[in-house]
Amino acid sequence: MSMAKLAFRNFKSSLRHYLILILSLAFSVMILFHFQTLLYSSGFDVLGTRNKEYIELLIQMTSFVLGCFMFFFIWYSTNVFLTRRKREIGIYVFMGLSNEQIGQMYLIEAILIGAAAWALGLGFGTLGTGLFQMILRKLSDLAVEIQFTPGLRPVLTTTLVYGMIYLVFMAKGYIDIVRSSVLSMISAAKQNEYVQQKQGWLATKAVLGTALLVTGYYLACKEGRDSVMGNALLAVILVTGGVYLLFGGMIPAGFQALAGNKRFLYRGQRILWVNSFIFRLRRNYRTYAIVCILMLCSVTTLATGFALKGRYETIVQFENTYTFQLLSSRDDLEGPARELIEEHSEILFDARLSLLYLDQSVLEADAYYSRFGILAYSQVKQLAQRTGLEFPFQELAEDEVIKASHQYLLSMITAREDVDIRIHGTTYHQIQDTSIPYLGYLQESSGYYIVNDQAYERLRSLGEEVYVYNYRIQDTENFAKIRDRLDQLVENTPENKTARIAMDPNSNELDWVKMLYTICIFLFQVFVLAGGSIMFMKLSHDTWEERERSQVILKLGFDPGLLKRAAAAELGTAYGLTFLVMAISSVFSVRALGNMMFTDLTAVNLVSAGVVFGILLIWYLLSVQAYGQGYRKNEKR
Amino acid sequence: MNHNSRKVAAEVKNLTKEYGARGFLTQVLKGIELTVYRHDFIAIMGPSGSGKTTLLNLLSTIDKPTQGTVILDGQDITRMSNKELSALRRDKIGFIFQDYNLLDTMTLEDNIALPLSLNGVPGKDCVQQVQEKAAMFGLKEHLKKYPYQLSGGQKQRGAACRALITGPEIIFADEPTGALDSKSGRELLECLRAVNENGQATILMVTHDPFCASYAKDVYLLADGRITCRISRGADRKEFYDRIIDVQATLGGDFS
Ligand SMILES: Nc1ncnc2c1ncn2[C@@H]1O[C@H](COP(=O)(O)OP(=O)(O)OP(=O)(O)O)[C@@H](O)[C@H]1O
Ligand SMILES: [Mg+2]
Repeated sequence: MSMAKLAFRNFKSSLRHYLILILSLAFSVMILFHFQTLLYSSGFDVLGTRNKEYIELLIQMTSFVLGCFMFFFIWYSTNVFLTRRKREIGIYVFMGLSNEQIGQMYLIEAILIGAAAWALGLGFGTLGTGLFQMILRKLSDLAVEIQFTPGLRPVLTTTLVYGMIYLVFMAKGYIDIVRSSVLSMISAAKQNEYVQQKQGWLATKAVLGTALLVTGYYLACKEGRDSVMGNALLAVILVTGGVYLLFGGMIPAGFQALAGNKRFLYRGQRILWVNSFIFRLRRNYRTYAIVCILMLCSVTTLATGFALKGRYETIVQFENTYTFQLLSSRDDLEGPARELIEEHSEILFDARLSLLYLDQSVLEADAYYSRFGILAYSQVKQLAQRTGLEFPFQELAEDEVIKASHQYLLSMITAREDVDIRIHGTTYHQIQDTSIPYLGYLQESSGYYIVNDQAYERLRSLGEEVYVYNYRIQDTENFAKIRDRLDQLVENTPENKTARIAMDPNSNELDWVKMLYTICIFLFQVFVLAGGSIMFMKLSHDTWEERERSQVILKLGFDPGLLKRAAAAELGTAYGLTFLVMAISSVFSVRALGNMMFTDLTAVNLVSAGVVFGILLIWYLLSVQAYGQGYRKNEKR
Repeated sequence: MNHNSRKVAAEVKNLTKEYGARGFLTQVLKGIELTVYRHDFIAIMGPSGSGKTTLLNLLSTIDKPTQGTVILDGQDITRMSNKELSALRRDKIGFIFQDYNLLDTMTLEDNIALPLSLNGVPGKDCVQQVQEKAAMFGLKEHLKKYPYQLSGGQKQRGAACRALITGPEIIFADEPTGALDSKSGRELLECLRAVNENGQATILMVTHDPFCASYAKDVYLLADGRITCRISRGADRKEFYDRIIDVQATLGGDFS
């Protein structure tokens, strides 16, 4: 009982010290809780069953990522805490407490901390759901609305998962303490370490790291058809390893070289922070690497979110180019259809063109579609004029084609230009791949090639020619009426093959993209907060160790401002380097993403990196602040 | 020696220091009077807990007295702002701490260069001055080492080297040989004496070791919060040492 009292007193008296740990644990609880709320919210109901499989896969992937993240995050924060606590409660060995008793004390403290974090996390979580929604709504009107109903299930699942992970690390801490020798207990955080590392070994790591990074970057952006997925995975592994070695090799080597140049080093407080940075780097480089990777993930997911949002909008536009499309072997439907539609709505534009369907067997290119269509250059040009679509193409030569594709959300085939296709024994050179929606929704489901007019005539005998009538209407509220009337028209022409396509302007068929977007923003939030708080925790811990050193500087007569400036420079270097490596890597990861989405995401990349920069800046300022506070506490002693 | 003809480096009047909370005050220093002249080499001796470190901290501006004045370099430090004190410490004072206080994050060379660099001395000059001082203290071949790679004596000489690099007018040393064996201790004391005799430095050293004290020119004995006795050195160090032992024995304090 007295042990519990002692532990409780410890807990109360050093609540301030625990605050960072409690907050970071609470943070992980909050993340998990948010995700659970998202899962059980009505947001998913909106989506219907149509994309259920897709979304379930997404959820599983996200759960896995989150699970890993929580595991490491709790591991990390409890470990930092343990090292520090061990030294503080280790003093009790002098009072005759056994390791087991000290371990028990640690357990009680850990339980109190864990419980406080749990309560705080759920509390923040409940409040934060509103905030999260607000952020989402700010970022776009696209996100799925989360109807927050305070259910029991998210609370229970969160408690269970968090409780289990936390218990594991609590037990680990206990065992660690019980097995510790007295000496290691007292001097847990004070070991003499080699500061300067062997240049040869560093150089090896630097070279290896650079090689990994360059290969990784190259693979990420390499265009390909079947290899893209494999390349992307390999790139992830290589870049992760490369970043690790960069912080473990290249950066320490560089800074040691700088410290060797005394004319550089001896300039004001530079002597302090450069040396201090090198000293820390040896222990912290893993942290920097992890944070860098987390930030890279966050930039990439945010970029994915932004890009998906943009792409979602273009796909909706693409599909809604025409409200109605008739596909018929008859070439005289133009008049009747127009009359019929005009009864209910004004027609914004209409356009007709002929289309030659060829069977897959005459085409020797990728076998993605079972059928593909051939369009004549001048007909498409005419259609573009009528509809106001762009037509930025020169007259085609006999052996040239332009591919007309749909808007990809993501594609694993990234090589699209300068390919040759063979149609019925003749080779055509594909000079371009366009996603201008000349055929509207039709262009979604098949592949089309625009060929030279003579080539079209030659190919005509090989396939089946149909006429496409396209209409875009003004009064969308009469959509259903017109659709039904058109269906009658289709039924009345049974001797000919006729089909009708109608695009409901109010459909929510693409809502799963919204879900994807929501998850991206969510993950971004997780990564960026996690990265920032890991960095912050580590650096705060360092500050705490810094006490004695700052005491020496002060005794030598240098003012606290100088210490603070040196600390700011050092922290700035740590945050800055992490951001720099992340930003450079993100150029490649976002470019890889852009390749898969067939767009240039440079702007998206800049914005995402800018957002992360802003958030890191806040963490940096917090760290500097924490240093100042740590220092003030020293002064009081 | 005629003290009046020499410049005063530090003057202490009625210096009192109390520790503790209301009702539990203990008076550690009870009205110390002391005048230190330029180029003095003074050792302060006294039993453990007699207030030697306290006195040194007060003199060296690290701590503030309860009562009394300390005049350093013509200025009353009890009336100076923290900023002014910092500047004074930085420009005029050198410290040699009992536990070295070298920074473990940097090499010995950088440790010695630290005060210069922080004072804004150009890198080239720093390097040169570090080389000179290191040679004087026999540390030349150890400059590239980190503190954990140095022996206690080397560390202490390094700390002394750092204290002297800015050419301070007055040097405060708290038990500089406390953690050293006699040989390393002797080496350090020789260095200090050289600085005092050849250079212009005034040295104030706290010690409880008579041998260490015998390197000084004057020894003050501190007991019960007061300076009880002053012994001045003659020509011979050995004879001085014996005298210190004698006085110690007659006063009967516990000196170890
Ligand atoms: N910060 C403090 N608060 C309260 N009492 C203190 C403080 N610092 C020193 N003392 C007390 O003042 C007295 C003198 O301490 P001081 O450190 O000056 O002794 P000293 O002569 O240097 O001893 P030693 O030879 O053991 O180093 C001691 O009784 C000590 O307990
Ligand atoms: Mg002392």
